[in-house]
Amino acid sequence: MRLVALDTLAERIGLKRGQGAAEARAMCPALDVIAADPAADQAFLEGLADWCDRYTPLVALDGKDGLFLDITGCAHLHGGEKGLISDVLSRLFSLGVEARATVSSSAGLSWAAARYGNVAVIEPGEADRVLAPLPVAALRLPAETAAALERVGLKQIGDLLEAPRPPLARRFGSLLLLRLDQARGEADEPLSPRLPVPSFSAERRLAEPLMDEEYILELTRHLAKDVRASLERHGEGGRLFELLLFRVDGRVFRVRAHAAIPLNDADRIAALFRERLQAVHDDLDAGYGFEILRLAVLRSERLDPAQQDFSGVPEESQPLAAFIDKVSARFGPDCLMQASLAESHLPERAGGFAAVRDVAALMGSPASEDKAFPENRPLRIFTHPERVEATAEVPDGAPRSFNWRKTQYRVARAEGPERIAAEWWIDGEGHPTRDYFRVEDQEGRRFWLFREGLYGREVAAARWFMHGVFA
Amino acid sequence: MAENAVQRQTILSLRDTIARIENCSLPGIVRTAKAADAAGFRRGREGTLHRKVLPLGIAPLDDVLKGGLPLEGMMEIRNAETRDAGAAAGFVAALAVLYQQERKEKGHLAPVLWISQALASREAGQLYAPGLKSYGLDPERFLFVSARTVKDALWITETALSVPVFAAVVLEIRGNPACLALSESRRLHVRAGAGGVPLLLFRQAGEEEASSAFFRFQIKPAPAGERPLPDGSVLCGSIDHPAFHLLVEKSRAYAAADIFLEWNAHDRRFYPLDERRSAALQANGQPENPVDPLSASAGRSRRAQPLGRLLAFARAS
Repeated sequence: MRLVALDTLAERIGLKRGQGAAEARAMCPALDVIAADPAADQAFLEGLADWCDRYTPLVALDGKDGLFLDITGCAHLHGGEKGLISDVLSRLFSLGVEARATVSSSAGLSWAAARYGNVAVIEPGEADRVLAPLPVAALRLPAETAAALERVGLKQIGDLLEAPRPPLARRFGSLLLLRLDQARGEADEPLSPRLPVPSFSAERRLAEPLMDEEYILELTRHLAKDVRASLERHGEGGRLFELLLFRVDGRVFRVRAHAAIPLNDADRIAALFRERLQAVHDDLDAGYGFEILRLAVLRSERLDPAQQDFSGVPEESQPLAAFIDKVSARFGPDCLMQASLAESHLPERAGGFAAVRDVAALMGSPASEDKAFPENRPLRIFTHPERVEATAEVPDGAPRSFNWRKTQYRVARAEGPERIAAEWWIDGEGHPTRDYFRVEDQEGRRFWLFREGLYGREVAAARWFMHGVFA
Repeated sequence: MAENAVQRQTILSLRDTIARIENCSLPGIVRTAKAADAAGFRRGREGTLHRKVLPLGIAPLDDVLKGGLPLEGMMEIRNAETRDAGAAAGFVAALAVLYQQERKEKGHLAPVLWISQALASREAGQLYAPGLKSYGLDPERFLFVSARTVKDALWITETALSVPVFAAVVLEIRGNPACLALSESRRLHVRAGAGGVPLLLFRQAGEEEASSAFFRFQIKPAPAGERPLPDGSVLCGSIDHPAFHLLVEKSRAYAAADIFLEWNAHDRRFYPLDERRSAALQANGQPENPVDPLSASAGRSRRAQPLGRLLAFARAS
């Protein structure tokens, strides 16, 4: 067992990372050793990244213990760069997180200064002065490169700045110069934010934390009104909305709601979240309340403004869309399904149910072209065909009697076979052919049975399956 | 004398109330009393008693339905055993087709909503879109919801009934769950009436249970006819349009006998089975391979029925 992380007190005693746990215990018998849990650390870092969403939507994870925040255009909202950094640090301190932060014009410089320096805000143009006294490890170099640099006496970044570049590149590789340029802001370094930046969003910061669901919904409606203005300007309506709730103690809840049609109406958006909040009620622990609410539109589509008539009655597909929204907000977007037909010979592939995509089609005009579909398909089908014991004439005869779900049925009439071969372009060759029979038992129940495999050619003993029931 | 008149008046008004609750035309005695003394009764109720119906064109069934399928409110369709679920689903789907057709003739293209308890779909098979299409239903205007629990299904149903867009709403439930008792069925019936939507409660493998539905039918399978040939004869051993055996379990009017129907998916309407065939089916009482019916989950506090059949009673002495 080795030490991977230390708190301030342990560092003061003189313990080091990488030291054996037994050795550390010998140095300090009262040492409290906790097993490392990298997954929980990662989850905590992601939780912090969520929390940092309050400052900027562009938050990127950096390794195991760092976050990059792109605060371009955001700093003035929090009292300038100095104000921002002291706000971040004081809030993190009150959450019990020890953190260091630096604002600068490049990600590399901030990384170096936050970890090895003690400057809070670095003005543009000061990069070289700040970088010069820092150790070379501050350039995010692989350990062996850093060690090799130190071996030849290039211990500080200042030494590298003065050294000629071509020999450096020849000896230590191009990465060293790239990192150096990135730290100086001469090479561009794109950050990859964790989450896509929403195209439309509105937020409200509250002086007094909110706990009551009613108030949250009311505020959501106000936020929706704010979003509506920008949505209208772009002629769009939102299909996927996200409500971010920042709890006082730093936890962030994300509640998503889908809309069946592009929406920009504040009441309809609030109604989406009314159902959604009820559905996630148990997971949404208000605790001491929420201090920031943000409504973001994650996906939007073109919304052609439609004129309402004088009576103000909305058009016909609106209540249906509202119903779909209400149900899918509560039970998930895949709970409402629409019949989907596909051109396939295999019955399982030919038809099924898929989540509703197009609400207008449910009410709209019938499709003109009517694809040819086989008649005589059962009304209900078993997702997994059920094995039956059947007596039938060999090789191609219809079943005379069969045993399904522990009951014997005698076949009075049968139609078939309808031979359906496997789709070799999907399943590959060697899949047995099916012979389907439509049978009626003596009391008038109609079933769809099939025999898997052809006698002699494909299988020695064919198996029978029950695949569906007819009306 | 005066006391007698007051009592009589009270009874008449109670009868009137009952008749109004039952949504039925007034009993004869009340009508005559009303004609004699109109001042004692409230007026303006008769208009609401007139129900909107969709006639089926089959005399015995229309008589039982008092004119035709109700266009709003609840109807219950049940089947006794899971293996009959195909026939019952066929009957329900046929009604849905009729309702959709009726809305289409009025110029509205309205979808059908089928809400199914997940357990019911698992036991009796999933609805199959090509099958529905060949059965006459418009698959583009068909919405299917699979609800995990009965409570979820009830919630969705109630929400759907408040939206006036569906041609028909089908609620498929397995067994007799406790959370769909008389008060819930009453609630659904009233909602369906207020929303102007027909609600078909399809109780799969369920027992007979008191409910607020207008009608309750039990559906049993019936042997289908044989395909006709151009020369007038039939193709021996072939299976033609599906047939149903309908037992009327609850209705306002008296049902004389079992009704046999045939669904023609091409014409999208029911036809009565010809008399010779239905008489033969009627006579054919006991099935050859009976199964001991195992009722599906029931929320009632009732002891489990013992399996098997009682052959002889124990000696009394």
